[in-house]
Amino acid sequence: MENLVYIALFAPFVSSLFALMFVMVPKQTFVGIVASMLLFISFLASSILAYHIVMTNEVIYVRMMDWIVVGNLSIPFGFVADHVSVTMMVVVSLVSTVVHIYSIGYMDHDRSFNRFFSYLSAFVFSMMVLVMSDNFAGLFIGWEGVGVCSWLLIGFWYHKKDVTRDINPSISPSWAANEAFIMNRIADLGMLVGIFIIFWNTGSLQYDVVFPKLSEIAVISPEILITAAIALFIGAMGKSAQFPLHTWLTDAMEGPTPVSALIHAATMVTAGVFLVIRANPLFGMEEVAGVSYFIASLGTFVAFFAASMALVNRDLKRIIAFSTLSQLGYMFAAAGLGAYWIALFHLAAHAFFKALLFLGAGNVMHAMHDELDIFKMGGLRKKMRWTWGYMGLASLALAGIWPLAGFYSKDAIIESAFNEGNLILWAMLVITAGMTAFYSFRQVFLTFHGDERYKEFGIHPHEMYKYVLIGMSPLAILAVVAGWGKDWFEGFVTNLLPAYKMSEHTHHLVTTLTIIVSVFAVSGILIAAFKYIRGLKRSEKMENSFIYRLLANQYYIPQLYAEMISKPYAELSNIFWKSIDMKIVDATVDAIANIVYKSGDGSRKMQSGNLSNYLAWMTFGAVALLIAALISSVLG
Amino acid sequence: MDNILSVLIFFPAIAGLLGFVIDKNSIRAYGISVTVIEFVLSLVLWASFDGTSAAMQFVELVPIVPDFGISYYVAVDGISLFLVIMTTLMTLIGIISMSVKSEIKNMVITLLFLEMTMIGVFVTLDVIVFYLFWELSLVPMLYIIGAWGGPLRVYAAIKFFLYTFTGSLIMLVGILFLAFTYHDAMGGYDNVGVWSFALTDWYQLKLDVDVQLWLFAAFFIGFAIKVPMFPFHTWLPYAHGQAPTIGSVILAAVLLKMGTYGFVRFSLPLFPDASVMMIVPIAVIAIIMIIYTAMVAYAQEDIKQVIAYSSVSHMGIIMLGAFAMNTQGISGSIFQMLAHGIVSGALFMLVGMLYDRRHTKLMSEFGGLALVMPRYAMIFGIMLMASVGLPLTMGFVGEFLVLIGFYNVSPILTILAGTSIIVGAVYMLSLFKKTFFGELTNEKNKNLLDLDARETFSLVPLVLIVIWLGVYPTPILKPIDVSVASMLELMEAKATKPKTKEFIASMRSDNKEEN
Amino acid sequence: MIGLNHYLIVSGLLFSIGLMGVIRRKNLLMLFFSTEIMLNAANIAFAAASYFYNDLAGQMFAFFIVAIAASEVAVGLGLLILIYKKNGTLDLDDLATMKG
Repeated sequence: MENLVYIALFAPFVSSLFALMFVMVPKQTFVGIVASMLLFISFLASSILAYHIVMTNEVIYVRMMDWIVVGNLSIPFGFVADHVSVTMMVVVSLVSTVVHIYSIGYMDHDRSFNRFFSYLSAFVFSMMVLVMSDNFAGLFIGWEGVGVCSWLLIGFWYHKKDVTRDINPSISPSWAANEAFIMNRIADLGMLVGIFIIFWNTGSLQYDVVFPKLSEIAVISPEILITAAIALFIGAMGKSAQFPLHTWLTDAMEGPTPVSALIHAATMVTAGVFLVIRANPLFGMEEVAGVSYFIASLGTFVAFFAASMALVNRDLKRIIAFSTLSQLGYMFAAAGLGAYWIALFHLAAHAFFKALLFLGAGNVMHAMHDELDIFKMGGLRKKMRWTWGYMGLASLALAGIWPLAGFYSKDAIIESAFNEGNLILWAMLVITAGMTAFYSFRQVFLTFHGDERYKEFGIHPHEMYKYVLIGMSPLAILAVVAGWGKDWFEGFVTNLLPAYKMSEHTHHLVTTLTIIVSVFAVSGILIAAFKYIRGLKRSEKMENSFIYRLLANQYYIPQLYAEMISKPYAELSNIFWKSIDMKIVDATVDAIANIVYKSGDGSRKMQSGNLSNYLAWMTFGAVALLIAALISSVLG
Repeated sequence: MDNILSVLIFFPAIAGLLGFVIDKNSIRAYGISVTVIEFVLSLVLWASFDGTSAAMQFVELVPIVPDFGISYYVAVDGISLFLVIMTTLMTLIGIISMSVKSEIKNMVITLLFLEMTMIGVFVTLDVIVFYLFWELSLVPMLYIIGAWGGPLRVYAAIKFFLYTFTGSLIMLVGILFLAFTYHDAMGGYDNVGVWSFALTDWYQLKLDVDVQLWLFAAFFIGFAIKVPMFPFHTWLPYAHGQAPTIGSVILAAVLLKMGTYGFVRFSLPLFPDASVMMIVPIAVIAIIMIIYTAMVAYAQEDIKQVIAYSSVSHMGIIMLGAFAMNTQGISGSIFQMLAHGIVSGALFMLVGMLYDRRHTKLMSEFGGLALVMPRYAMIFGIMLMASVGLPLTMGFVGEFLVLIGFYNVSPILTILAGTSIIVGAVYMLSLFKKTFFGELTNEKNKNLLDLDARETFSLVPLVLIVIWLGVYPTPILKPIDVSVASMLELMEAKATKPKTKEFIASMRSDNKEEN
Repeated sequence: MIGLNHYLIVSGLLFSIGLMGVIRRKNLLMLFFSTEIMLNAANIAFAAASYFYNDLAGQMFAFFIVAIAASEVAVGLGLLILIYKKNGTLDLDDLATMKG
C-alpha cells in the first residue's frame, strides 16, 4: 500500500520532469500522451488506495524522510492516505487526467505544447503534496507549489503585452499571474503565522500530534486557538479567493482554458476549503465557534456577491469563474456551519461539473478562435452538438437540478443552513441558487441558442476533436451520478470527519425545503430561457443603469485596488528611493564625508610657509591653552 | 590533516603570488584549478568534520606575540564551516563565469588574495588576527571596484572602503577595550595579569551590563555597516552598481556575511545581556530593512540595483534570526546566510550575463526576453523563486526558520517581518515581468543569444544546490544546530542579569521539551 | 616699597613687548631680538622671585638662561648670515618656500 501512495504522489512529478526534458524542442504529441498516462497511473493508484480504505478503514501513514530538523522542530516529508485525503486524491487525479487528455487537443497548435504539460503535471504533483501531507508544513509546500504553478500557467502566454482595463479587464496574462501570486502571498503570511502559533503551542506540526492537544490548550487559553483559526483561515481565503482577496481568480482566466478547468475551478481554489476541512478539529471547537460562524457568513456573502457579478458578465470564462467563486462560498458556508463532510461532498461534485463546464467553454473558444464574448456567439448548438450537451448537462448540475450531482450537494448545504436555524444565511443561499441557475443558462442560451451572431465576425466554428470529446465523458458521467452516492459518501468520510445530522425538525421539512430550492433554480432557468433563448435583445437603458455598470465592473473593486493599493505603493516606493534613500540617508553620509574633506581643505591655508604666520598661530595656540587651563581651574 | 585550515587560508594566497609568473593566456585556467583544489579541500574539511560535536575543530594555535597573548589561532565549528565552503564555492563559480576581458591576470590574483582574507575571517578565533583579515578583505575589493568598475567606480570604491573602514576602527577600539578588561579581570591590577586575544578565552569573561552595552555598540557599528543595516546601507547600491559582475557576486555572497557572522560569533556570546536588551531595537531596524528596502527595490529602474537592494532586505531577515535567541532562529539565520549567498550570487551572475550581451541593465530596455533566451529565463526564474522563499528551495528553509524562531520572541514583529514574503514577491515578480514577459519590442533584443556552455556550467551547479538544500537541508542544518545550541548554553551561563538568564532559558526550554 | 609684583609687572610688560615683536616683525634679525627680550623678561621674573623667596634656584636658572641665550645667539646669528648670503634678504615674506 505504501508504494501506491508513492506512485500516486510521484507519477505526476515524473510526468513533469519528462515533459521538462522536451521543453526546448518543438511540439511532441507523445509528451502529452505519456503525461496523460502517468496521470492515469496516479489516478489508478489513488483509486486502489481509496478502495483499500473503504474496505479496511485503515489509514496509511508514510514517512519518506526528514525535511527540517532544528531543535525541537522536526518536519518530515510525511504523507497520509485517510478518508479525506484519498477523496481529494481521487478527485484531483481524475480531473487532472481528463484535463491532460483534453489538453492534447486543446493545445494542439501551441508552440509551447511540451512546456504546458510540464507545468500542468507539476501542478498536479504540488496539489497531491498539498492534500496528502500529514503535517502543516508539508501542506504549505504544496500550498506554495500550486501557487507557483498557477503563476506559471496563468502567465503561460507571457508574450502578450499589457493593455488597458477597458480592452481586457485582466490587463495581460503576465499581469494576472503576478496579481494572483502576490494576493496569494498576502494570505500565505496568515497561513505561516497560523503554523507558527500551532508549533509554539503544541511543539509539533503533525496533524495527529497537534489535534489531540488542542483541547489542552483550550483549557489554558482559548485566545490562542482563535488566533490560530483566524490565521489559518486568512490563508484559506487567499487560495480560495474569498472576499476581499477574490479579484485574482477572474483575472486568472487569462491562462489557457484547461488550466482554468483544473486549477481555477476543480482543484487549487478548493485548497482553502480543504484546509478548513482538514483542520476541522480546530475549527469545530466550541472556543472558535465565532470564527466558524464568520467563515459561514463570509462564504454565504461571497456566494451571493460572486453570483451577482456573474449575472451581467459577457465573458464566457469569467461567468464560469464567478460561479466557481460563488460555489466556493457555498463550500465555506457548509464548512463554517460544521457540516464538513457536506463541504467535501460539494467540493468533489463541483470539481466534476465545473471542470466539465470549463472544458466545454474551451471547446467553444477553440471553435470561436479565442473569442469569449457571449454576445458575439449564439446558435452554436447546430455546429457543436456534443459540447452543447456537455455544457448543458454541467449547467444543470451547477444549477442544482434533480437528479444531477449539484442537486444533492448544494441542497445539503442549504439544508444545513436551515438546520442551524440561521434563516438569513439560508435565504441568501436559496436566492443565490436561483441566480446561479439564471446566469448559467443565460450563458448556455446566449452561446448555443438563438441567432447566429458569430457570422457577422466571419467566424466558422467547428466541433472539437472526437477523442477530446470522448475524453471529457467521465466528467459528464460523474456530473450526473456523483450525487447518487451521497449517503454512502457520508458514511465513508464521517469515519474521520465529524458527523453532521439534521435535526428532527429539519428532517420533517426536508421535502418542502428541497422544493423551495428547486423552484428557485427552475425559475432561474425559465427566466433565462424567456429572455435569451430566442436571441439577444440588448436594452440600452438597462446596460446604462447604475446597478448594471456596478456589477459589470465588479463593484469597481479592481479599480479600487489599483488606485488605493498598487499606485500608492509604487509612489511610496519612489518617494522612499528618491527622497529618503538618496536625499536623506545617503546625503547625510556624503555630508559627513564632505565636512571632513572640506575642513581639511580649508585648514590647508594655515600651512602658508610663512614663518611669521606660524609664529602668530603658535601664540594663538599658547594663549588658547592658557585660557583653557584658566577656565578649567576656575571650574575646578 | 591537522593543518588543513592553514592550508585553506594560505594556499590561495601563495597560488596568487605564483600567479604573477603565469602566462596571461593561461591565467584563467590556472585560477580555476587553484579554486577547484581549494573547493575540494573545503569539502574534505566538511567530510572530516564531526557534525555531532559542538566543539571547535581542527584547532591550530601558534603564538605570535606571547607577551600580549596574540596568536595565530584558527578553528571551525558548525557556524563557520559552511561559510568557508560557500566562500570557496562562490569564488570558484565566480572565476568560471567571469567575463572580465582587461587585465585578467590581475583580476585572478586579486580574487585569490580575496579568498584568503575571506576564509581567514571565518576561521580565525584570535581577535587581532581576525581584525587583520577583516580589514585586509577591503583591499582586494577596493581594487576590483576601482579598477574594473563602471563610470563612477572611484567614488563607489572609496565610499565602500572609507565607510566600512570607519566602522571597523570603532570596532577596533572595542576590541582593545575588551582586551584590557580581560587583562584586568585576570589580575591586571596586581601586575600579574594575563593578556589574551583568543575568542574562546573571552567567551569565559563575565561583563557588567553597562560595559556590555558600550562594547555592543562599538562592535555593532563595525558589523552593521558591513551587513549593511539600515541606515548604513547606502554604500551598497553604489558598490554593486559600479562593481564588475564578479565583484558583486563575491560582495553579495560572502563579504556581507562577514557582518552577520560577526554578530553571531562576537556580539551574541560576548555580550549576552546587551544582546537580549537590544533584541527589539535590532528587530525594528531589521524590519525597516525588510520592508523599506524592498519598496526601494521595487522603485528601481536598473536590474542590478533591484538585486542590490533585495540583498539588504534579505540581510534584514538574517539579522532578525540572529537575535531570536533560540536554535530555530539562529540556525535559520546562518542557513539563510548560505542561501542568500548562493541565490544573490547567482542572480548577480545572471544580470552580468545580460549586461555582457546588451551593455545595459535598465529594465526599460528589455521585455519579452523569455522568447529569445528561454534557458536564461528558466534559471532566472528558479533563482527568483528561491529568492522569494518558495518551499523546496534553499531560500524557504532559512526564512521559515528565522520567522518561526522569532515568533517565540515577538509575534507582532514576526508578522511585520513576515511581510517580506509579500514585498519580496512584489519587486521580484515585477522585475521578472518587465524583463522577461510581454512583447519583444526592442530590435536589439531580437537576436540575443541564450546561455552558452560556460555560463550554463557555472549556473547549473548553483541551481542544483539551491534545490538540493531546499529539499534536504539536514546535512547542513544538523552541525549548525549543534553549534548554535552550545552557543546558547554558553550565553545563558554567562549572562549577568537574572532576567537575561531567564529569557534565554525560556527560549531554550522550548527546545528541551521534546529532546 | 618695591615689591615682587612690581618686578613681575615689568617682566610681564617686557614679555608682551617681545611677544608682539615675534608676531609682528618680519625681519629675522628683529625676531631674534624679540625672543631675547622674552628670555630676559623671564630672567627678571626668576631673579625677583628668587630674591623674595630666598631661594637661589631662581637665580641659578637666570644664569643658565643667559648662558644658553648667548650660545643660541652665536649659532643663530651664524645661520642668519648664511641665509642672508644665500637669499640676499632676511624678510620672512620673501623666505616663505614651504607652502602647504
